[in-house]
Amino acid sequence: MSHFLDRLRFFRKVKARFSDGHGIVTDEDRQWEDAYRNRWRFDKVVRSTHGVNCTGGCSWNIHVKNGLVAFEMQATDYPRTRPDLPNHEPRGCQRGASFSWYLYSPHRVKYPLIRGRLLELYRAERAAGKDPVAAWAAIQADPDKRRRYTAVRGLGGFVRAEWDEVVEIIAAANVHTIQTWGPDRIAGFSPIPAMSMISYAAGSRYLSLIGGVPLSFYDWYCDLPPSSPQVWGEQTDVPEAADWYNSGYIIVCGANLPMTRTPDAHFYSEVRYKGTKVVAVAPDYAEYVKFADLWMPLRQGTDAALFMAFAHVTLKEFFIDRQVPYFQDYARQYTDLPMLVRLRDHEGRWVPDRFLRASDFDDALDQDNHPEWKTLALDETTGEVVVPRGSIGFRWGEEGRWSLEPRDADGREVRLALSLVERHDEVLEVDFPHFTPGEGRRLTRRVPVHRLRLDGREVPVATVFDLQVAQYGVDQGLGDARARDYGDAEVPYTPAWAERITGVKRADIERTGREFADNAAKTQGRSMVILGAGVNHWYHNDMTYRAIMNLLHLCGCVGQSGGGWAHYVGQEKLRPQAGWAPIAFALDWYRPPRQMNGTSFFYFHTDQWRYESIAADGLLADTAKGRYKGYTLADYNVVSQRLGWLPSAPHFNENPLEIVRKAEAAGATDEAGVVQHVVDRLKSGDLAFAAEDIDAPENFPRNLFVWRANLLGTSAKGHEYFLKHLLGAQNGVMQDVRPEARGREIRWREHAPIAKLDLLVDVNFRLNSTGAYSDIILPTATWYEKNDLNTTDMHPFIHPLTAAVDPGWESRSDWQIFRALARKFGELAAEHLGVRKDLVAAPLMHDAPTELGQPLEVRDWKRGECEPVPGKTLPQLKVVERDFANVGRMYEALGPLMERIGNNVKGIDWETRAEYERLKTHVGVVGEPGKTQGMPSLAEDTHVCEAILTLAPETNGEVAVRSWRALSRKTGRDHAHLAAGRAHDKITFADIKAQPRKIITAPTWSGLESEEVSYTSGYTNVHERIPFRTLTGRAQFYQDHEWMLDFGEGFCAYRPPLDMAETEPVRRRLGDKPHLVLNWITPHSKWGIHSTYNDNLRMLTLFRGGPVVWIAERDAARVGIRDNDWVEALNANGATVARAVVSQRVPEGMAIMYHAQEKIVNVPGSNTTGKRGGILNSVTRVVVKPTHMIGGYAQLAYGFNYYGTVGSQRDEYVLVHKIADADIDWLERPLSPEREARLNPPDVPQAPYPEQPAAPGPAPEQEPLRPAARSALDPAFEDAPEREPEVAFGKPS
Amino acid sequence: MDIDTFFFGIYPYIAGTVFLVGSLVRFEREQFGWKADSSQLLDRKTLRLGSNLFHVGILALFAGHFVGLLTPHGVFRSLGVSDLTHQVIAIGAGAVFGLTCMVGGVLLWRRRMFNPRIRAVTRFMDLVILDWLLVTLALGLATLPVSIGHALRGDASVMIALAEWAQSVVTFRADASLLAGVDPIFKIHLFFGMTVFLLFPFSRLVHIWSAPLTYLARPYQVVRAKYVRYR
Repeated sequence: MSHFLDRLRFFRKVKARFSDGHGIVTDEDRQWEDAYRNRWRFDKVVRSTHGVNCTGGCSWNIHVKNGLVAFEMQATDYPRTRPDLPNHEPRGCQRGASFSWYLYSPHRVKYPLIRGRLLELYRAERAAGKDPVAAWAAIQADPDKRRRYTAVRGLGGFVRAEWDEVVEIIAAANVHTIQTWGPDRIAGFSPIPAMSMISYAAGSRYLSLIGGVPLSFYDWYCDLPPSSPQVWGEQTDVPEAADWYNSGYIIVCGANLPMTRTPDAHFYSEVRYKGTKVVAVAPDYAEYVKFADLWMPLRQGTDAALFMAFAHVTLKEFFIDRQVPYFQDYARQYTDLPMLVRLRDHEGRWVPDRFLRASDFDDALDQDNHPEWKTLALDETTGEVVVPRGSIGFRWGEEGRWSLEPRDADGREVRLALSLVERHDEVLEVDFPHFTPGEGRRLTRRVPVHRLRLDGREVPVATVFDLQVAQYGVDQGLGDARARDYGDAEVPYTPAWAERITGVKRADIERTGREFADNAAKTQGRSMVILGAGVNHWYHNDMTYRAIMNLLHLCGCVGQSGGGWAHYVGQEKLRPQAGWAPIAFALDWYRPPRQMNGTSFFYFHTDQWRYESIAADGLLADTAKGRYKGYTLADYNVVSQRLGWLPSAPHFNENPLEIVRKAEAAGATDEAGVVQHVVDRLKSGDLAFAAEDIDAPENFPRNLFVWRANLLGTSAKGHEYFLKHLLGAQNGVMQDVRPEARGREIRWREHAPIAKLDLLVDVNFRLNSTGAYSDIILPTATWYEKNDLNTTDMHPFIHPLTAAVDPGWESRSDWQIFRALARKFGELAAEHLGVRKDLVAAPLMHDAPTELGQPLEVRDWKRGECEPVPGKTLPQLKVVERDFANVGRMYEALGPLMERIGNNVKGIDWETRAEYERLKTHVGVVGEPGKTQGMPSLAEDTHVCEAILTLAPETNGEVAVRSWRALSRKTGRDHAHLAAGRAHDKITFADIKAQPRKIITAPTWSGLESEEVSYTSGYTNVHERIPFRTLTGRAQFYQDHEWMLDFGEGFCAYRPPLDMAETEPVRRRLGDKPHLVLNWITPHSKWGIHSTYNDNLRMLTLFRGGPVVWIAERDAARVGIRDNDWVEALNANGATVARAVVSQRVPEGMAIMYHAQEKIVNVPGSNTTGKRGGILNSVTRVVVKPTHMIGGYAQLAYGFNYYGTVGSQRDEYVLVHKIADADIDWLERPLSPEREARLNPPDVPQAPYPEQPAAPGPAPEQEPLRPAARSALDPAFEDAPEREPEVAFGKPS
Repeated sequence: MDIDTFFFGIYPYIAGTVFLVGSLVRFEREQFGWKADSSQLLDRKTLRLGSNLFHVGILALFAGHFVGLLTPHGVFRSLGVSDLTHQVIAIGAGAVFGLTCMVGGVLLWRRRMFNPRIRAVTRFMDLVILDWLLVTLALGLATLPVSIGHALRGDASVMIALAEWAQSVVTFRADASLLAGVDPIFKIHLFFGMTVFLLFPFSRLVHIWSAPLTYLARPYQVVRAKYVRYR
């Protein structure tokens, strides 16, 4: 009642005594406790989660009080797994628990924002009487007007705007761009849909309807392991976290489980209670090392050497010295080890060539269907060459024989021979490419071969197994220079050799290799390698991964419970993918969709290719055919696009609407006619691929949407190049273009253009770096303010995001934002565009017959080696008739193609008529008269959730059974039993709001959801005998594509990190100031999921409250850096400023800047660039790898986020030096005209703005460069010595 | 009403009322803000010396003023304390503890002003009250030469007048005319001193009410009964 009056009872407050008077009991007032009780009191609880870029997929309860989100708590009502398995819950981590701070934080975008200068310009044009599209066109036509707002990107100047007005501006810009340049000049970026599928689908559906280009992200992040498509034909499929618990031996390599897989890490410690041994491979004392029985502190970037040595031990002890029946059977049935490889005479030496194919024989071994895609092996019992089932030739054009049954094409049982060592015709000396510095460029080994008479010539063939054993240097008694014992450091891939490369003790390597294999032999494959960004973010990531996969395959681990690879970085599992994709890419209205691989897009359009320091020739193997010798990395990408391997955006140097119009004007009446016209024009050179002159104004990307992403602040490798060329903003690029980057296939314009983008739109709930550089920011709902779906591969459940409160201030859900945009677009398009025909150039896709595009060898139509044939030697060319005026209506309705054509995933088709009908009653139909009346509604986000759940086999048992039946027809085996038990299950949105639900087994994935086993990848390949989707149908040790062989990656080999040579050009700027040269390592952090949470006050409070760089104690002492000093890291790409964390846990020679601390919190100016000190990616530059551009070749064929160039960034070095506190400049000055005009750092020449032609079709200034003319132009480059890549570790100077 | 009547006849009651009522209201309504706001966690080095000097000094000054001003003149007499002795004790103790408090106070002030961590958590009222106390203290010290002059002349009248005035205030018979002949420096000091009471409830000084004296003698373990009365 009264605190004061209570005090007056001072002498009566003791009510009892205890413990001999040492304790007293009082009846003091306890009202104060209510303050704490009220803090955790709430009005309602709603289930949601955190919707972008975190693979945690944790179900959370959001507690709402007085209409505000008060706090979030982990939900603990996951369905149980199995009695012998620990539960998945509680899931969640410190990051998720701090999310509610964002809702009411100063970072929250509350209203639509627009760059003030742009709004003034637009209003002036509108006031002059122009309609929206004409107003936008007028701004773009005037370089001065355009520069007024592009030059101040990143310098503030936003004003609050009305929704109607900004939506009108964006729609007008889109209409204008489609009209003037083409729809393929509108792009959009958003990552990893699985975490909030509806939000992703909102933007991608809008873009797909207007013909725009969603950009891929998984490859761009370098989280895609290209090795997975290469080896398994599978994008990425991994075990759920619970499967770690089934393992008997775990090696963790570059995946910091407690830090980055926090909700799952408990399995990692729980499994140790069962006696499982854990080996941690890490250069630094990372968090996961603490859990390990053995720490292998290896030199960063040398992991491949370590795993090659493990495999050396395995091969010697478990294949040569003795044979383990389980390993032998596994290798025979599920890997390409028994497959026969032709040997080729290369300048008098034998080298491995491509797989032997049925078509190599005169009678094609009786194979009528795709004999050139059927690989061969020797039957051990008969000694005959046989056509084993399962190779990709069986997948298309026939049914019932595409399986891994140990039978040949005719159904005879076969037992494939692994080795010819007992039955060889002769032994030949074979050369293998080798890349270890100082060891020569070739390994010569004696290999047992079989001789075949093909085409009238004697051709030696060897098994992959024999070649592999030879390359690994394991002695087979053939009298060559293979390892005498493990201590033979002269022979590559022995433990002693690996010790020299990695720094890990030889005895540890030997013992670990032995134990790993021994455990697998005893448990039938329950040995596991958990791996991630630490090894995947290197340029030669596929070599490291393949070294690991090779070990796993030798040990029969892949596809076994508790075994196999577990790749955790940026991976996702959009479980109801088959239900989602049609909506996300508007396949219910138009097919095919237009998509683009992000890395190549950004490599080209941010002009990073013009700064390339890596010569492709230096990467080639000694044994390369080298038909593209002298090409730059960018040239390879151009070739790849024109052969239909990688996609392109823009496609051609002309508006695709215009291309069709011209064809029709020239008399084409149907698609075939249009396509023929285009092919003729391409052939004559009248029409060209945009990539051939990527810096031409007509080939710029013009509009870019970024939603649920932070492109610039997080993933923009080469951040400063984005600012410079794409945006035309203040940038820190410290070098001019490199003349040696000039290519043969891509035109070199004198000036690299700047400010390519007309419009950058950011859709976000918080203002981050991307927003800061955008022209328009749209406020979106947070993850507690919308309805959506969420799945992950870390657990098998699907659960929702649901709106706990209404979107704050003027924000709207992503679905409603793009819906409004679609409506407005339709309105403006009705007048300006109407119905138009668009030409879509899609690459030769994986999981479709087009993956059989180019067998045997590369043929380039442009070089006259073959005819340009769309879908074979050229991209698929499709005419899509777009109804632009109805985009708004179409966005809101599930289109008729779902009823007419049905659905498809991974090459399996099924019809969806029943589901289409069901949705009409389940969510209702569109009532508005017009094109979409009577179709299932997609107006609200909940409708979309229901549509996805209904269409997807993972959430609709009937569809699951139907899709398994479709696959059964291909394999000739019954798979429907896998889903039969749940045939009548239909998971609805209301179900998952009540409790997370376990999904239903579907052919989309290679694992099972069952009561018997945890989900693990490759399980159905091994247990259901469904082939891997590769050339041989098996897991492949060998990659036989011509480019793979050229670059020396037919077999896995150790390739050291690159030397990007980007510190030398800036070293002079430091004078004699003490500095370090450090390898720049950017792993994922404890306090954020990428940039999210890194700016969250709750997380900032837990560490230094701003960006930091970790460096070794000894390194720091050498140059006088003390803990918490400001330091600058710089190289030719730019500079970043942060505080130093000086620690013993970091090895010397390495700087760790955790991903992705942004420049919006506590980042001062850089003393070197004079611009705002950057982000982790200010000192990186993306380098593409030609082997990732291969297409039309079985598993090496394009798929969105499946294959393509990846944005690696770990091979980079920086100079690190101390900045005195007195020299810190926060750049807090008003914008002056001088500063506005000075975009580049001092001493870096400024390129002029490109002229803006009023209409497209500018005349070329010079003839496109022909290969022959090139050396005359630049003879110096031709003579430049080949650079040999070498490992360079940081040395103090 | 002349200015003296206001400041020494009425103002004491305004200050006193605000002091008492303000403290009561704040104690009832703002339990979570009722604290000393210690910044010891952020910086201990200068705090130890400064705070101890300051607190010893100010507690002694408070006790000296309390006893010296409110003890009826007759009591001293009957105890055999002559006016001169009284005066010498007052001047001596006042000088020693005043300087002690001043040194501590300046240390604390410097710490509060120039230590960035302390400055960052400093509220406006923290500065006001610390400055005010230091000014009051300085004024108190400034009275010393005048008092010494009185003592040398053997004149105790001003000291007696101040005590009588103080006693007239606390007995609700405030008589400003008692201060008619007093040096202005005393009056200014009095005004500043009274204003400390006025500011008291709005500042961290409220912690004085809750000085944890019982800690010295309480049992090791104090538990509260589960029964909650006000629910």
